[in-house]
Amino acid sequence: MPFLKDIEKYKSLSIVGLEKNTGKTECLNYVLSRLRDSRKQIALTSIGIDGENRDQVTQTHKPEIELNEGMMFVTSEMHYAKRRLFSEVIDVSRQTTSLGRLVTAKTIHSGKVMLSGPANNAEIVRLIADLKAKGVDLTIVDGALSRKSLGSPAVTEAMILATGAALSANIPQLVFKTQYVYDLIQLTEIDSELKPKFRGIENGIWALDESGEVKDTGISSVLMIKKEKDKLFQFGTDFFVSGAVTDQFLDFLKNQKQVNKIRLIIRDFTRVFANPETYYAFVKKGGEIQVLDKTNLVAITINPVSPDGYRLNSDELKLALETKLQVPVFDVKRIENAVS
Amino acid sequence: MQFRKAISEIKGLQYLAEELDLQSPMGKRCLLDSEMLYNETELNIEYDLIDKVIQSIESDPKLIADIQSKLSHLRDIKGTVGNLDANLILDDIELFEIKSFAFHCHGILNLQKDLKQEVISLPNLSGLVDILDPQKSGIPSFYIYDDYSEELAEARKNLRIAKSENGDSEAKLEELFDKAQEIESRVREELCDKIRVFAGDLRTALNQLAHFDLLIAKAKQVIQLSFNRPELVKESTIYNGMFHPMIKDELQKQKKQYQEIDIELQKSVCLITGANMAGKTVVLKTLALCQYLCQFGFFVPASKAKVSLVNRIMLSVGDDQSELNGLSSFASEMMNVNQMVEVAQSHENVLVLVDELARTTNPVEGLAIVNAVADIFYQNNTRSVITTHYSGLNSYFRKLRVKGLDKDFGDQRITKNNINSYMDYSLVEDNTGEVPHEALRIASLLGINKEIVEKAQNQLNMNASKEEIL
Repeated sequence: MPFLKDIEKYKSLSIVGLEKNTGKTECLNYVLSRLRDSRKQIALTSIGIDGENRDQVTQTHKPEIELNEGMMFVTSEMHYAKRRLFSEVIDVSRQTTSLGRLVTAKTIHSGKVMLSGPANNAEIVRLIADLKAKGVDLTIVDGALSRKSLGSPAVTEAMILATGAALSANIPQLVFKTQYVYDLIQLTEIDSELKPKFRGIENGIWALDESGEVKDTGISSVLMIKKEKDKLFQFGTDFFVSGAVTDQFLDFLKNQKQVNKIRLIIRDFTRVFANPETYYAFVKKGGEIQVLDKTNLVAITINPVSPDGYRLNSDELKLALETKLQVPVFDVKRIENAVS
Repeated sequence: MQFRKAISEIKGLQYLAEELDLQSPMGKRCLLDSEMLYNETELNIEYDLIDKVIQSIESDPKLIADIQSKLSHLRDIKGTVGNLDANLILDDIELFEIKSFAFHCHGILNLQKDLKQEVISLPNLSGLVDILDPQKSGIPSFYIYDDYSEELAEARKNLRIAKSENGDSEAKLEELFDKAQEIESRVREELCDKIRVFAGDLRTALNQLAHFDLLIAKAKQVIQLSFNRPELVKESTIYNGMFHPMIKDELQKQKKQYQEIDIELQKSVCLITGANMAGKTVVLKTLALCQYLCQFGFFVPASKAKVSLVNRIMLSVGDDQSELNGLSSFASEMMNVNQMVEVAQSHENVLVLVDELARTTNPVEGLAIVNAVADIFYQNNTRSVITTHYSGLNSYFRKLRVKGLDKDFGDQRITKNNINSYMDYSLVEDNTGEVPHEALRIASLLGINKEIVEKAQNQLNMNASKEEIL
């Protein structure tokens, strides 16, 4: 598969499913099987744990990942104890997650393991740096798009998006939803000299005034926008929002007369929790969204089978996505078969 | 009393604890758990160790930095050692922790050999390292190596062959894996039995390394803040060039000078008088801080110190949260003083420090209370210091006065910003019993409303002329 060549350029990669059972695990296993012959030191981890938990409840899917000999991985103490492989403990973290400390290990004999990892961005970034110091060339992060998660896969350099019938059983609808995420991933990054100004901000709506200074608008959250809208434009039309951008907020901005001057800066694309309709309406009126962290989308994988057994036409879906989006698309079910 | 409790009571102590350059989690635990010492021999042993480390830092700072770097890699494996002791089977993560700890401990042992003199004796864990590193890799990572058992190596080999052939069913592979894992558990059990004999050594090493970490941190602080070793004596506690590190640091940040002071405390009461803003409270707080530091095995912030040990330090500086227990500030102070007096009457060896006793009541009764309390301390030979603004103290009490604004200011204008440079904070013996009347002068220097100062001055003048008429 050609996209693997691209992956090798990056130090970190996340694999993100748009919905449960969109073939994220197959995609991950596929990427790993293809990297088997690569001389690069690979490490695997995950963001948080909520994805795995849901799987354990619905029992639709085993979230275990097959690791090859020599690969490194990071998981919690609890999942480490349940591993189905032989591995060497290389390090144990000092900080604790809800499932215990994080164990960094190297696979001695190939086998399966459940992954869990740090739950917030700063720690994911720190972990990736730590792995790099331990000689890892590529860290692959099993990511999740979740409103609840503080950690975002967008902190990795590259990303593979897994989509499929589980998201929608209707091809045009599926393409539309996937394109929306694709468009968000393509949001432009702000100037790198501006980034440090926003990094430490944890909450509220902040403005960037004409002199380039960051000012607190005094609005504590986008949820308060209705009550405190008079304060919004006091320093100009460039805003930074650290948390989620909601439907209500974008809808409010869209209806302002300054909408075509508004530039909204967010952490990364995962912070947008608005309906595609609202987002596109905002953009159409001239509003703009930029991000602090942008990731490079290297490929989209599709799983044409939904968990309830419904099957979409793989070729049709692949063609529809490729025509709309400028990125290679692969069917995980087929690539799986191709391997074995 | 534990250090943990003392830092919650003495702000200056907490400041110093936070500034300590501790590297390991057990170093911190060792500090917080350390008990106040009342025994000269024990304290002198600790001071000797600090002196040794200071000499080592001075002769070979690089080596101490290397040891600190090794200490920073240590984890607190107290729980794991406990599990080992309790005959439990350790998992790979715990074995990794033990191996990694043994490696670093061994490293520190070797580094210490290069020091001119050994500071801390560490158990030799090379036997443990040999067991946990059968491949002599020299790195701390760990798993149940094939080297431990031929049977295990064989089982793993079979699994590997089966996997690479790819012909076997999933169930067959699972079976092979389970078999290998079962052998692994057995090997792990044997391994734990083998290393169990090291549990005692590991525990000793943990405690010794924690102490070593603390000693280095203490020694570095001594050098950095120019502390000195106290000489433990039976008679008077004497400080020369005593200072409060937190306040000195704050003044340095503002590019101001800290004036160090000399003070002697006999086994009796001592009253300190002086103008407002003359640093009386700071003297009390520094005395409390120095006594705690000394008895927790630290050097003290003074150029020279002779310290007489006490069983308890009792401090009342009037910033109690009295609203919380429903008492007025006067009531809560009296309850506090009552305790002090009872301790004095029982002739316990204590250091009592009271800031502006009875200041929240009328001066007539206030003075009477000060004289009464001081008298009890005087009669019971209680080592105590009381600061006060009241005149008319009994003449037989020893009194120290802060010199205050005695200097010649020339044409300089004094304001609240530079008053600090004109204030002479040194203490002088004073036999008059009169206190300086500088409150109005200082109030006006602080720039408070002129009307207050003028009206107050008029009032004083009127009182004075009335007295003359009478």
